[in-house]
Amino acid sequence: METVLMDILGAVVTFLVAFVVGMTYGGLSRKITARVQNRKGPPWYQNFIDAFKLGFKKSAIHHGVMHHLGGAFLMVSSVMTLMIVPVLSHNNWFPNLNFQGDLIFLLYIMTFGPLGMALGAGQTGNPNSAIGVTRGLSQMVGFEIPWVLALVALMIQYHTTSITGLMAAQAHSGTWLMFSSPFAFIAAVMAMLGMFRYSPFDIVGAPTELASGPVSENGGKYLFVMMSSGSVFTFAKLTLYVDLFMGGADNLLILLVKTFALYLIPMLYGMTTPRYRTEQAVRWFWGWPSFFGLLAILQAVIF
Amino acid sequence: MEMIHIIFLIFLGGAVLTYFAGKVSKVLQDIFFLLSVLVPAYLFFANVGIGKEVTLTLGGITLVWGVNHFSWLFSLIVLGLGSMAAIYAIGYMKGKERKGYFYFNFILSIMAMMGILLSLDLVSFFVFWEIMTWSSYLMTVYNGHETQRIGIKYFVFSAIGAYAMLMAIVIVHHVAGSFMIGSMINFYPNMSLSLQIWIPILFLMAFGVKAALMPLHVWAPDAYSNAPMAYTSVFSGALSKMGIYGMVIVLVTMINQIPQGFWFREVIAWLGGITAVLGTLWAIKQDDAKKLLAYSSVAQLGYIIVGIAIGTELGMLAGLFLAVMHALFKGTLFMVTGAVEKQTGTTNFTEVTGLIRKMPWTFFAALFSIIALAGIPPLGGFVGKWMLYEALITSNHYLLVIVIFFSSTAAFLYCYKFLFGFFLGQEEKEWAHVKEAPVVMLVPMIIMSVLMFVLGTFPGLILKPINSGLVDLGYIDTFKHLWNTSIIFNAWGDHVVLQPILYYIIAIFVFFALFLTWKGHKTTRYVTTKDISSSGEVPAEDENLTFSVGFMQPFLRAVAPAMRRQIDKYYTGIADGLESLFEFMRRIYTGNGQTYAVYVIVFVVVVLLFKSVLF
Repeated sequence: METVLMDILGAVVTFLVAFVVGMTYGGLSRKITARVQNRKGPPWYQNFIDAFKLGFKKSAIHHGVMHHLGGAFLMVSSVMTLMIVPVLSHNNWFPNLNFQGDLIFLLYIMTFGPLGMALGAGQTGNPNSAIGVTRGLSQMVGFEIPWVLALVALMIQYHTTSITGLMAAQAHSGTWLMFSSPFAFIAAVMAMLGMFRYSPFDIVGAPTELASGPVSENGGKYLFVMMSSGSVFTFAKLTLYVDLFMGGADNLLILLVKTFALYLIPMLYGMTTPRYRTEQAVRWFWGWPSFFGLLAILQAVIF
Repeated sequence: MEMIHIIFLIFLGGAVLTYFAGKVSKVLQDIFFLLSVLVPAYLFFANVGIGKEVTLTLGGITLVWGVNHFSWLFSLIVLGLGSMAAIYAIGYMKGKERKGYFYFNFILSIMAMMGILLSLDLVSFFVFWEIMTWSSYLMTVYNGHETQRIGIKYFVFSAIGAYAMLMAIVIVHHVAGSFMIGSMINFYPNMSLSLQIWIPILFLMAFGVKAALMPLHVWAPDAYSNAPMAYTSVFSGALSKMGIYGMVIVLVTMINQIPQGFWFREVIAWLGGITAVLGTLWAIKQDDAKKLLAYSSVAQLGYIIVGIAIGTELGMLAGLFLAVMHALFKGTLFMVTGAVEKQTGTTNFTEVTGLIRKMPWTFFAALFSIIALAGIPPLGGFVGKWMLYEALITSNHYLLVIVIFFSSTAAFLYCYKFLFGFFLGQEEKEWAHVKEAPVVMLVPMIIMSVLMFVLGTFPGLILKPINSGLVDLGYIDTFKHLWNTSIIFNAWGDHVVLQPILYYIIAIFVFFALFLTWKGHKTTRYVTTKDISSSGEVPAEDENLTFSVGFMQPFLRAVAPAMRRQIDKYYTGIADGLESLFEFMRRIYTGNGQTYAVYVIVFVVVVLLFKSVLF
């Protein structure tokens, strides 16, 4: 019983950390983008203000059951991802269910949320939402290819499909996988550009074009849940990359440094490039990123 | 009289009785129909022991029927799905024409499939195979639409397969001296190398046609979408599995015996992979739900073929588990389509939209089957997909796993298209009158949805019979080594524990659902799909905001090069070529007596002129 309580407490702590870090990163990205564009920008804690304002609002309207539950679907996906990914290497405060699932499971649970969200967005009847969803799913097919190529390369190189197994392999050899499997890392980082949906891959939300796409009919609590899910998911994905390619982290500070360094990649790349059209975005992932993914597999097979 | 004989007698007698009962009373016909599917199903599972053999001598040939664990597994699919579809068919066929015709062929199909599974000799196997082909052919032309194009295409491919199989059977009888499947398998290692290669190829042609393996799949989309939906759920869910059943037997008992078998299996696995990708891409393109599901069936059968073709224990488990899952979710999806068709009169996504509030239970069934189809945890599809990926990765099929992954990620696109097209989106006045489908149609769909959910957490329920079947085929026992009641392992020892995952998912979902509902659920009111804001403007009541034409256009543009060539066109090309050849022949054989008289005279003249040279 005590272990169950500890697990639940740990899960809450993990969730809160992920929420705070994700929100802060979101705020920092707004600030940095503003500075690059020579604006002053909002303070770094602006996202917290927005989120709490939304969270304490009452929703006056909804568009039906699926719309109502869309946020809950989204949360299942982000929180499950967070629970499966080991946050810190040796720390009891962060429960890790990785021993109950593995990378393939992770890939699939990550798609659970977007599909639920897509159903919610579909029921609102807003055509912009549905267009955003079709774009998002198309883009997912795009970036999953290099991402899976990279993961398969890691799996066959180290004969394990679990994240903890890959972390153990790094601890054992003493080198990070980003150095021992560089091609896989390159492919995965390129796939990450699509995952984070910064420009040029911001085709889902597409401000000024789709009026923020799938979230467009959501306000108040619905938007709050979506925002927090996005923050938690950002943190979970970044941690996953750190675990897979950078040997994980022993304490929170190292984790923050590593994740923020990774987070800068999609953010800064986005500042230099305008938005792609959907088919361009999809094809981009099947070009160089997939080529590097294939190189990674070649490397894993030969060495 | 053995139980198996009785079962077949009930099927046959039931089919005839049902056909003629329609002349007396519609209700009586429905009752006869249900009884002649459900009673044999009950008798089979309650009374037929595994390993029992019965014989029947007809015209000097002894037919041997019996059950082993492997065919029992497929019987579960056939009779389980068959019973569900039979109940559904009562509701679906209500008020339709030619019910007797439909019921008769339905029962005969189920009987033929059971016959295939129970046959231990090649003669009855072939006879039942033909009955299955005939009855399903008659179903595909039930509507009377385009019988020429669709029916003939299905029949030509089935005939090619059947003749290939017949040829193989004759050769086997010639060299082995027996029609028994067992003796064919025992004799196989003694055959010459060319026979060792040709006999499996001939059999695989027959099975490949039914399993819709590329390039023999072109009949499937049309035939699946043209048959009545109540039958298509069996057609796609169970009948196609007969091809899988035969393939497994050929692959395991024959091809694995010879060193060339490796290449055989690689080629089939890759064909399966390509089938999966092309099926998925074409499914995304379809605007008609029937066509979409038909292409998706082709794609899903591709996964199953990949699983059984790579042939490791995990691959076999994955393939057969997916076969069971496919029967469940595709059966349900075709039933959903049938329900929508019955209630609205169309299955076209560009016409019907926004049914979620009118048909909530149908939507529920559709949602569950779509989640299972997409392979998203915690439903059963995930277990099959997981096993397939792990099987591919641990058996060094690195590129094939990417192909399969691409196909199953792209499957999300048509999954969403299906749900959005029917149930979500703008609610239009045109469909305001639509009611939920009748209970008799809903019950089978809901039962199968619940089954999918249960299998997602306790796959052991189905993996157990699969495992027994594989042990029968000569595989090692994989219990506790690759699967447990709710744990699945791969060959490297990594595993997924399904039970706690389900509890976590439920806990998180319930928590956030409560969070969203808790405060202010009384003051929150429902607004229609017209009551939305688009860039600050509020759309007027008569504005058309439905988005369904060109739904996945950007993605299709991205994959356009892969879809430029259509294998159907090549076949049409061959057919056109043959037709002009026949046209030429017709010019010679004009059917005119005078022409023939001229031929005779010319022949005689030629013989006379060249008499000295010829003789």
